[in-house]
Amino acid sequence: MEEETPLLEMRNIVKVYSDGTKALKGVDIKVYKGEILGLLGENGAGKTTLMKILFGMLKPTKGTILLNGKEVRFKSPADALANGIGMVHQHFTLVEVFNALENIILRMEGHGLLSKIDVDNARKKLQKLMDDLNFQVPLDVPVENLPVGVQQRIEILKMLYRDVDILILDEPTAVLTPIEVKELFDVLKKLKSQGKTIIFISHKLNEVMEITDRVTVIRRGEVIGTVKTPEATPQLLARMMVGRDVVLRIEKPPKEPGEVILHVEDLWVKGDRGEEAVRGVSFDVRAGEIFGIAGVEGNGQSELIEAITGLRRVEKGKVKVNNVEITGKKPKELYEMGIAHIPEDRTHMGLILDMTVMENAILGMQWRKEFSRAGLMDWKSVERHTKHLIEEFDITAPGVRSPVKSLSGGNQQKLIVAREVSKKPELIIASQPTRGVDVASTEYIRNYLVRLRNENKAVLLVSADLDEVLQLSDRMAIMYEGQFMGVVKPDEVTEEQIGLMMGGVKA
Amino acid sequence: MNETMIVGLLLGSLAAMVPIVLTSVGATISERAGVVNIGYEGILMLSAFFGTIFAEMAHNGWVGLLGGALTGLALGVVHGVITVYLKGDHVIPGIGLNLIGYGGVAFGILAYWGTAGQHQVPSYAQISPLWMDAFGNSLSPMVPITFFIALLAWWMLFKTPLGLRIRSVGENPEAADALGINVELYRFTAVLIASALSGVAGAYLSVDWLGTVTKTIAAGRGFIALANMVFSGWNPLMALVGGFIFGFFDNLAIYIQNNPWLAGAIPWQFIATLPYVVTLIVVAGIIGRARPPKWDGIPYKRE
Amino acid sequence: MSFSTELRGYGKPLAESVLAILIGALIGAIVLWLSGYDAVAAYKALLEGAFLGGNFSETLSKSTPLILTAITFAIGARTGLFNIGAEGAVYFGAIAAVGVTQVLQNPLAGVLSGLLIGALWMLPAAVLKVYRGVHEVISTIMLNWIAFYIASWMALSVLANPNNPNSTLPIPPGARLPLLVQNSTLSMAFIIAVVASIVVYVIMWHTRLGYELRTSGQNPRAAEYGGINPKAAMVWSFLIGGMTAGLAGAVQIMGIPPSYSISQGLANVYGYGFDGIGVSLVGRNHPLGIIFAGILFGALNAGATQMQQTGVPLEMVKVIEGIIIVAVAVPGLLDLFVKPFRRGAQ
Repeated sequence: MEEETPLLEMRNIVKVYSDGTKALKGVDIKVYKGEILGLLGENGAGKTTLMKILFGMLKPTKGTILLNGKEVRFKSPADALANGIGMVHQHFTLVEVFNALENIILRMEGHGLLSKIDVDNARKKLQKLMDDLNFQVPLDVPVENLPVGVQQRIEILKMLYRDVDILILDEPTAVLTPIEVKELFDVLKKLKSQGKTIIFISHKLNEVMEITDRVTVIRRGEVIGTVKTPEATPQLLARMMVGRDVVLRIEKPPKEPGEVILHVEDLWVKGDRGEEAVRGVSFDVRAGEIFGIAGVEGNGQSELIEAITGLRRVEKGKVKVNNVEITGKKPKELYEMGIAHIPEDRTHMGLILDMTVMENAILGMQWRKEFSRAGLMDWKSVERHTKHLIEEFDITAPGVRSPVKSLSGGNQQKLIVAREVSKKPELIIASQPTRGVDVASTEYIRNYLVRLRNENKAVLLVSADLDEVLQLSDRMAIMYEGQFMGVVKPDEVTEEQIGLMMGGVKA
Repeated sequence: MNETMIVGLLLGSLAAMVPIVLTSVGATISERAGVVNIGYEGILMLSAFFGTIFAEMAHNGWVGLLGGALTGLALGVVHGVITVYLKGDHVIPGIGLNLIGYGGVAFGILAYWGTAGQHQVPSYAQISPLWMDAFGNSLSPMVPITFFIALLAWWMLFKTPLGLRIRSVGENPEAADALGINVELYRFTAVLIASALSGVAGAYLSVDWLGTVTKTIAAGRGFIALANMVFSGWNPLMALVGGFIFGFFDNLAIYIQNNPWLAGAIPWQFIATLPYVVTLIVVAGIIGRARPPKWDGIPYKRE
Repeated sequence: MSFSTELRGYGKPLAESVLAILIGALIGAIVLWLSGYDAVAAYKALLEGAFLGGNFSETLSKSTPLILTAITFAIGARTGLFNIGAEGAVYFGAIAAVGVTQVLQNPLAGVLSGLLIGALWMLPAAVLKVYRGVHEVISTIMLNWIAFYIASWMALSVLANPNNPNSTLPIPPGARLPLLVQNSTLSMAFIIAVVASIVVYVIMWHTRLGYELRTSGQNPRAAEYGGINPKAAMVWSFLIGGMTAGLAGAVQIMGIPPSYSISQGLANVYGYGFDGIGVSLVGRNHPLGIIFAGILFGALNAGATQMQQTGVPLEMVKVIEGIIIVAVAVPGLLDLFVKPFRRGAQ
């Protein structure tokens, strides 16, 4: 297999985003005709970026793409499609009110723009396609009324209808039930037998082991290696996926945790699409302890945090703070009870970008007596408070009256941390606290979280950055598909074990 | 009420529905593609004015309709460039357009014909009716044409590739873009179709139905058309039904005004509010639920 | 330390507004010239009619309702709403003022009735938005027309003047707003409008409510996270906006001699809601900017009468206003003009 010319080759692909983030640092991959190639890696490893470049959605900073040995350049997805490359995204691109047939034939309707669409012919073609693959989707129901698994099949059909030879699937099983996963795999095997080539992006070890022929592991924008699946083991892949040198060292004195501050019991929460995002999670966070939650993003962490902080409805279960039930309470009441929340989405939730640094520095505290009395804002006091935060947290800002969007990402995040800490909380919930933040700010924020723990506060840390959770946590849980795969102590667990749990294999 | 009166009311309703339906059908196509415009009132005004000038120059009412379409098209280019290509707000230009229409026609009548507030369209510049009775009731050729246009628009939107693509860019431009559909081009085209249709409707007011240009000639019909579009659930065929109902109310209100013995019983103003009240009830989901296209009024910028 | 950066923040919007006004004036001049008028003479008359001598009091008088309706739109814009419902609230403000002062012959009663009815009239739009998700552009357009017909009917029936078929009952002398300049139409109403703008400025930038309203408008998710209820904020925005619009209608009748009554077809209260949107946009949706933009639009309307004496129909100023609004709607207007020159210089 290795001797023949690859069907597709990506050479030395570099991608630097406009904010300076190096997403890909010279990636080479080869894809051979008729194989299923697994692209394995953690969040932010660069898998999706790489595939978006292949599909014409992103422009590479450097590098070449060879199709059948010839160099190609795709300016848009349409170019990629015209060259026989199709992609099914994690977030579907379907017109929700259209039925499957309309979604699939869009821009492939045939004949002139103003002639009648030949629905019967399209239906016949589609039926044949479905029969060949041995799966069916209802063609006449608006896709918004269909389950996610069926929508995904429609996306696949949409690509096949365009006669693609290479099909890219980005985390296709993330939204599927186990039965749907099995059915999807049957389809993929069928496609392979028909000579199609498939690139399967995933972080799930078992699935990669089951369905792929070869696996290319990507970590931090670099290819770690490629192995033939039959020669691989989950343990090997896990090591390749997460193994790393620790960059930062955080001083953390041993500490005996105190009483339980946050108590979560059998919590069930629904996601935006009505799916069960959190499925029966239970844990405690004690005073003087950092409890970390690791796991690949999208496994229910966001919903879990939103439920605890009063931003999402709890379907079932209990959440207690200092032994007081808090389910159903509004964010304002929770702040009054001594909870602070560093939200995962800095720009959409944590800050109001067009408002000033001062105005952002009191969000969630505006009713406190020091900032407003009898409904009138005391901007002098707000200014004093803001300047104090800027000084104490060493935030670089052009001025307290400048819009917060004029601050760098790291300084924006420090402002949020400063604000939340200034609420003098007993429980700090930090969600992705250092995402997109420069190294110096990251170190500062991490040290600060440890300091809070040393001051006997309870800290709940959620991060997709495994290093962060490993370094900071006293205890940590690994979340996978809405459940905890296990709760462990970071110094008593191997990276391989964590990698396995992140990939959905119980240790 | 005798037979003539009923025939009169019926024919009057048909005449009144023409501008409402043409504009609603246009607005439907535009909003199906995701572009909102609340400036149809202004387009109706200006095309009524310029349509008349075209008709008088050519001594032909049909040329007046063409002039109206061209006027609409020109205003559509302004709206389309601002909203589709420059990604501007969809509502603000319409507010400006309405003011321009309102001021421009009052200005234009005096500047061009030298009369204040009103200009009678000479009969040589008017479209002659298909049929007319002894009491002055008539049927314009624009009535069957409007039915045909609504039907054609429905067929275009729901049966042809063009319609499928127009609807896709209004519902989910990202999905359309991912398949290589030029979102901006389809949106712009839809805006042009809409404003041209509204332009024809405006010229119809002056060179056909009313036979006059006044400084209040649109009389809120641009807004009634938007109400009808919402009422019809963004469907050109339903716009015919709604257009007839709204045309009937429009006509009934005029009829009551002209018949003092009726005016004592029901104030005509109450009849005139009905289209708007009914539309509010429809959008509130009290009877059925009218749902606009998902990306209606939202500029699309590729990432 | 950062006052200059703050000022610089206002510089670009200000320049864009000025550019839009210039574009309006320029295109207006072209239209005049094409129509065979002497544009220079017309503009000279317009400016004299607006600013010369006692004419300025007419300008301020005409700006009064515009400032108040612009505030309605601005509050909406600052809270993430596109509230174009001022028009309807203006009619009812006028109706309420005429009606209530017949009984309570006191200017305060008239003013309060305008505030109250304006707020009430916005309630349906607020409820439809919060509970049924109806977009406020659709609901307020419908409500404006419903208001137009109902108010027209009330003016002709309940409030009809037995001695004058062309207008409603007048505001009784005891309830009229005192004139600031004798033999002009400039009354206390202008002061009320300026005070209302300042009050709204204080509410929006110096109270907790204003802070919460602006937060909700800029970023509803962040507002929720910050313990604010974005839906309640929307309702507040509609209510406060309705109050200033209702006030506009009330003072427009209570402060304008000689008739102190609503004319036939609501002619002297018609159109202010829509013109106010333009004023707000030119004033960059800021209460203090609106005072100046309101005076500018007031000047156009006041000068129009004198311009008419040169033979130019006074509706021409509506065309200019419309063009200004379309120009303001062009995103990055300034860049479109400045860029080609920059490129040329390189």
